[in-house]
Amino acid sequence: MSDHKNDIQNPAPNYWRSFEELYSDQKFLAEKNNEFKEGASDAPNTDKMSPISRRKFLALLGASAAVAGTACSDYQDKGEIVPYNNKPEEITIGKANYYASTCTGCSSACGILIKTREGRPIKIDGNPDHPVSKGKICSQGQASIMGLYDPDRLKSPKRKIGNGLDDADWQEVDKEIVLALSTIGSREIAIITKEIVSPTQNEVLKDFIKEYPATKVYSFEQFNESIRKNAWQKCYGSSDFPFIKWNEAEVVVSLDADFLGTGSHRVENTRLFTERKNIMNKKFNRLYSIESNLSLTGMNSDYRLMLRPDVQYSFVMAVINELQKKNVITNSVNASAFSLSKLAGDFGLSEKILNHLVNDLSKKKGKAIIYAGDHLPENVHIAVNLLNEELGNSELYDTEHSTVNVRNLSSLNEFKNLIDKMKAGNVGVVIHFDTNPVYNLPADFNYAEALQNVDEVVTLTEVENESSGLSNHVLPIHNNFEAWGDSKTRTGFYALQQPVIAPLYSTRQKESILLTWINGDTTSYKETIFHEYLMANWENSIYPTLNSKLAFNPFWYGALHDGVVRSNDISNGIEDFNYSVIMELKNAQVKSDGITIQIKESYSLRDGRFANNGWLQESPHPVSKVTWDNYAAISTTTAKQLSVKNDDVIEITVNNRTLEIPVFVQPGHVDNSITIETGYGRTNSGSVAEGAGFNANTIFFSTGGLTPWVYEGAAIKKLSRTYNLVVAQTIYDFTEKDKKDLPQKRGIIREGTVEQYLNNPHFLNGKEHKVLESVNPPVPYDGVKWGMSIDLNKCLGCSECFIACNVENNIPVVGKEEVDKGREMHWLRIDRYYSGSAEDPKVSLQPMLCQHCDQAPCEVVCPVVATTHSPDGLNQMIYNRCVGTRYCSNNCPYKVRRFNFFNFRDSFNDGYQESPVFALLHNPEVTVRSRGVMEKCTFCVQRIAEARSDATREGRTIKGSDVTTACQDACVTNAINFGDINDANEEFYKYRNHELGYYVLEELNVIPNVTYLAKLRNTHSEEA
Amino acid sequence: MSVDYTIEPPVVHGRLSIAQIEEMVVKPLDTKPDKKFYIAITISGTFLMIGAVLLLITFYYGIGMWGNNQPVGWAFGIVNFVFWIGIGHAGTLISAILFLLRQKWRTGIARFAEAMTIFAVMCAGIFPIIHTGRPWLAGYLMPYPNQHGIWVNFTSPLVWDVFAVSTYLTVSLIFWYTGLIPDFATLRDRTTSKVKKTIYSIFSLGWRHSHRHWQHYEKTYTLLAGFATPLVLSVHTIVSFDFAVSILPGWHTTILPPYFVAGAIFSGFAMVVTVLVFVRKIFDLQQIITLDHLDKMNKVILATSMMVGLAYGTEFFIAWYSGVAVEQFAFLNRAFGPYTWAYWIMVTCNVLFPQLFWFKKIRRSIPMMMVIVILVNIGMWFERFVIIVVSLHRDFLPSSWGMFIPTLYDVGILIGSFGLFFTLVILFTKALPVISISEIKAVSDGAQPSYHGGENHE
Repeated sequence: MSDHKNDIQNPAPNYWRSFEELYSDQKFLAEKNNEFKEGASDAPNTDKMSPISRRKFLALLGASAAVAGTACSDYQDKGEIVPYNNKPEEITIGKANYYASTCTGCSSACGILIKTREGRPIKIDGNPDHPVSKGKICSQGQASIMGLYDPDRLKSPKRKIGNGLDDADWQEVDKEIVLALSTIGSREIAIITKEIVSPTQNEVLKDFIKEYPATKVYSFEQFNESIRKNAWQKCYGSSDFPFIKWNEAEVVVSLDADFLGTGSHRVENTRLFTERKNIMNKKFNRLYSIESNLSLTGMNSDYRLMLRPDVQYSFVMAVINELQKKNVITNSVNASAFSLSKLAGDFGLSEKILNHLVNDLSKKKGKAIIYAGDHLPENVHIAVNLLNEELGNSELYDTEHSTVNVRNLSSLNEFKNLIDKMKAGNVGVVIHFDTNPVYNLPADFNYAEALQNVDEVVTLTEVENESSGLSNHVLPIHNNFEAWGDSKTRTGFYALQQPVIAPLYSTRQKESILLTWINGDTTSYKETIFHEYLMANWENSIYPTLNSKLAFNPFWYGALHDGVVRSNDISNGIEDFNYSVIMELKNAQVKSDGITIQIKESYSLRDGRFANNGWLQESPHPVSKVTWDNYAAISTTTAKQLSVKNDDVIEITVNNRTLEIPVFVQPGHVDNSITIETGYGRTNSGSVAEGAGFNANTIFFSTGGLTPWVYEGAAIKKLSRTYNLVVAQTIYDFTEKDKKDLPQKRGIIREGTVEQYLNNPHFLNGKEHKVLESVNPPVPYDGVKWGMSIDLNKCLGCSECFIACNVENNIPVVGKEEVDKGREMHWLRIDRYYSGSAEDPKVSLQPMLCQHCDQAPCEVVCPVVATTHSPDGLNQMIYNRCVGTRYCSNNCPYKVRRFNFFNFRDSFNDGYQESPVFALLHNPEVTVRSRGVMEKCTFCVQRIAEARSDATREGRTIKGSDVTTACQDACVTNAINFGDINDANEEFYKYRNHELGYYVLEELNVIPNVTYLAKLRNTHSEEA
Repeated sequence: MSVDYTIEPPVVHGRLSIAQIEEMVVKPLDTKPDKKFYIAITISGTFLMIGAVLLLITFYYGIGMWGNNQPVGWAFGIVNFVFWIGIGHAGTLISAILFLLRQKWRTGIARFAEAMTIFAVMCAGIFPIIHTGRPWLAGYLMPYPNQHGIWVNFTSPLVWDVFAVSTYLTVSLIFWYTGLIPDFATLRDRTTSKVKKTIYSIFSLGWRHSHRHWQHYEKTYTLLAGFATPLVLSVHTIVSFDFAVSILPGWHTTILPPYFVAGAIFSGFAMVVTVLVFVRKIFDLQQIITLDHLDKMNKVILATSMMVGLAYGTEFFIAWYSGVAVEQFAFLNRAFGPYTWAYWIMVTCNVLFPQLFWFKKIRRSIPMMMVIVILVNIGMWFERFVIIVVSLHRDFLPSSWGMFIPTLYDVGILIGSFGLFFTLVILFTKALPVISISEIKAVSDGAQPSYHGGENHE
């Protein structure tokens, strides 16, 4: 115990670590009390330290490792991104450049504005400076950008060897052709072209004829206005018919004329027509449509009557007779054999509508216009011209401008002669100058057969086609966006076309090819050969006529910048009506029995020239919503009589030629008549066009019909086959009791009449908008909040917005099978609803896109927060976060969300959209979505972002009017408006808060940011 | 035949001794698999492989291999998910709720039903993952801290599903395993194989059949039963929220939770009966899984069938009574629309056929009950099809109506899920005692002390 005590008092053993410690050295003891050595805890003296910091050392270490690593590897070959070592002039990375040019898709030659990014064109819009386009362009023009990057384009010239085509060298091919041209002897050289609208191209052809005098040029368009021109020639002594001031017409009567849907003046027609459907100044026109098939024009008519094309003559004459009886018009034409009431009885027309029509025509003298379809026979056009003249409606002819024909189209007789010569072996060379006569020429010409007697057939084309398959030489030509050109379609201006990208392949401008042949020396070809020719032609022949104050060079660059040049050539005006044509109007009923067939231009593929364009193929038909195919449209009654239903294949026999085609029962089609759109059934024309639809041109004739597009007395046989037509919008029986008027009952479509509206502007909603209370506190949106309004009075359902959306947002083509399954990827679609009877339905149209609801049902159900709301009111989609549960789509009442069930770029047409060239098409500002993610309309968020960064750079806040969406830009009728909901000073605010505004499915209280302005039908009160 | 309801009928028939019971239950584990086993596993394995191959192809190309589309975003995938989750419910009900209610007859079937629960939940659990567009990102559905600072969306019923189903699987697994511990010990004691002994030793967690072990065991088991009981109600309630919380007509109804729970028990019992009928025959367990068991289960099927029937009627009534036109259309479309056949298969199989169970003869007739329970299984699958696909295919905007047509892949993967389920069931019968040895011993005649020496019947 005591030992223990001792231990505590004297804690030993005494451990020592050094002698200093053991002997208790004073210095040591003092040091021991300091934990750190002197100076160790002072701030370090940086002057004394190495100049290389830790960071720098690490950076150097990393850099030297990287340098060592990359220097030893083949770095140069790895990168696919090539930096601009020498930055091209004009190009700023990330900034789009716009170039004015001209669309060569059809003979309208619309002015276009091409958006290019880093030197590649990615989007086409109308040129705002162009007097006709006014910033708008048709859907084909929008979609034509896909043609530039079409992987099916010919990449080098080809020469026929044996039965196939083999790649060849330009020089060799040129040599062979020049030899054939120069040894032609007494035989003919035939150049077959589309309608020529380019003065300089015409000069090239003239030079060609000078060099090779045996040459004849034939121009052909399958759908043209030759009958109208002939009628005008007879009536007014000039085939240059005037344009119509649709915007001043209070009443429009369309006789089977789809002037809003097809034809070369469509863009201008729709713009002017809908100017008079104005809910702001409350001016509304009234459209009567007397037509056979339900057309885009018919869908938008206030009154619609169904009449076969062959009865149209009787109809006009009966109207003339009726107006004569009422002493509204007093001309000497004898129309006594025709009567409206008899027609009404024979064809089941509504007497009430006929009365309204006659009354309107007599009351609105000089403010109405009657317009006949291009395919109707000459006597209809003459009668219409007479009627318009007598009613004083010629006031509405636009006499300030008239058409200019650079080169007249060849008549069918000229072609007949050519084919006779070919058959007789008198034609040595045929050159298909960017045209496809084997497909488009009337079947009775047997053009393909006649070609066999021609030694040298040359086809100049971008993508192979029916004609190139029968050629000895196939020469690839520049796309619209790689080529130079000019155009002259009307008085008052010229338009210019300029390349915006260097040629992608070994192609040549089609005019340059001719110029090389004219030169004869095949080595003389230069890429600039036509460019120089064009400039020379302008400098020498066009520039002097313009009286420009500028020297040629500044003038030229200014012209290229603007895309259009005003000229002071004036319209010839209209001569007096030549009353002797009245003799042509026979006072006898036209009798026709059996079934009438009408061949029409396709809404999306035109005459077939756009068949290899996936976007257009997949674009639903504006009326039937059928995609990827054409069909025989027939009425419900006729379908019953023939005991056929949708998808049944029928055999149509006209003039001993047959066509097998599936049936589509079209509500609103006239009985005993069939309408078929052509442009489909292409062969050897690219992998997209292949297998889509049926070639209706097998029953397209030069003679034997009422006109080349209308035939009577067709025999129909039902075949036992069926063919699956794919409709993008489900067909259901809208006349069944539980489905009748569903869109109206559910608050999807809300409509009224003009009269209702004028009497009570608030008839739709009452004075106040009822807002349902939410259990959640409302989210404040203090800044800019984006919204859209869609004016259903102006929306014609033409699909232009839809194509623009596809182009802007990199929407993939999914193919027919996938559309059939309901997997199309369109962010924006046009819903078409029928109401009323299946025989004569009323049509309501509605563009449907993401409504960007404030209380979006999709947002709450996403388990991974992949869809959220932005502070500026956008419903956003975060692709990276999306797992793909599709719950959001299930919970979306508008069903506007689209899911990538596959990597559609890979799954469609053997990965066609994944070919490297296709990648150039994509808008770099929009993510290319792969499989497994949901997507939908973003309100073009990339444009909002760009506008915001512009505003920030300029030191201001973003305004609603800074942004336009792609659909809005594309809408010809300006039905779509976009802007800031909160900004009362903006134009958009008026639309957003208009008394006709409503939300679709308002009772769900999801509070959409898309306002629809209710459609008003301009019918008489007793119809309401 | 007069029945004295004051006396409980014996749970185990034939006055088997405790040793006999053990012998009977363990026999499949002791004997080598016979030909029947190989045939059965070949068939189910083939189904499983079909499903697996089609699933791999789906993974490779995308969900587009299935028939799903716009507007039918959910189809077979979610139908199968709800179906299998429903099947699972019988197990938990039998093992947990009936345990708490001291229903002795449950002991003969509880182990098996619980195993089926686990297998069914495993089958079910596959579908929410594989039906997504990008299954490799399914982890995004779990709330885990991450550098993006993104959390899951707690308002989404799919997230609730993730919690509900994973909880359900975990609890069921633990509950099942706890019950297995004494049996593992028994097996350990019986076996002579060294490998088996090691495995059984590990899983028996040192169980020595001591009083203290039993005491802890009983308490744990009761607690777990109490824990599992609310899950019977909550899991399918939450599954039904996937639909009830949405705004789609036909989904957006408050009746869905009870309706789904009743349906789940209904289909689960039907599946248990389907499988037990075979198991008791093949493994010669008629004395333990008696006709009385099947009779009782058929009664439950009858009761839940009528609940489901009532729900069908109520839905129509509410649709009419609510005055909501879209809702009315949705229900008329179910009954008379393009998928009318699916609706009437559902009603016939789920409401009409089970009514035959009012007759005792039918309740106790093996062939009759087989037909009916299989029809119930079919009917319940179609119920989910009707709710999910038929509601989706025609919703608000007539412009976006569509049709769903299943593809080979849809059907194949459904078959594959059955393959997985039965493969697991078959392996289970050879790997573990299908009846709780310790529990069944406890409820057999004479096992418990009684005042008249166990002579408590007839």
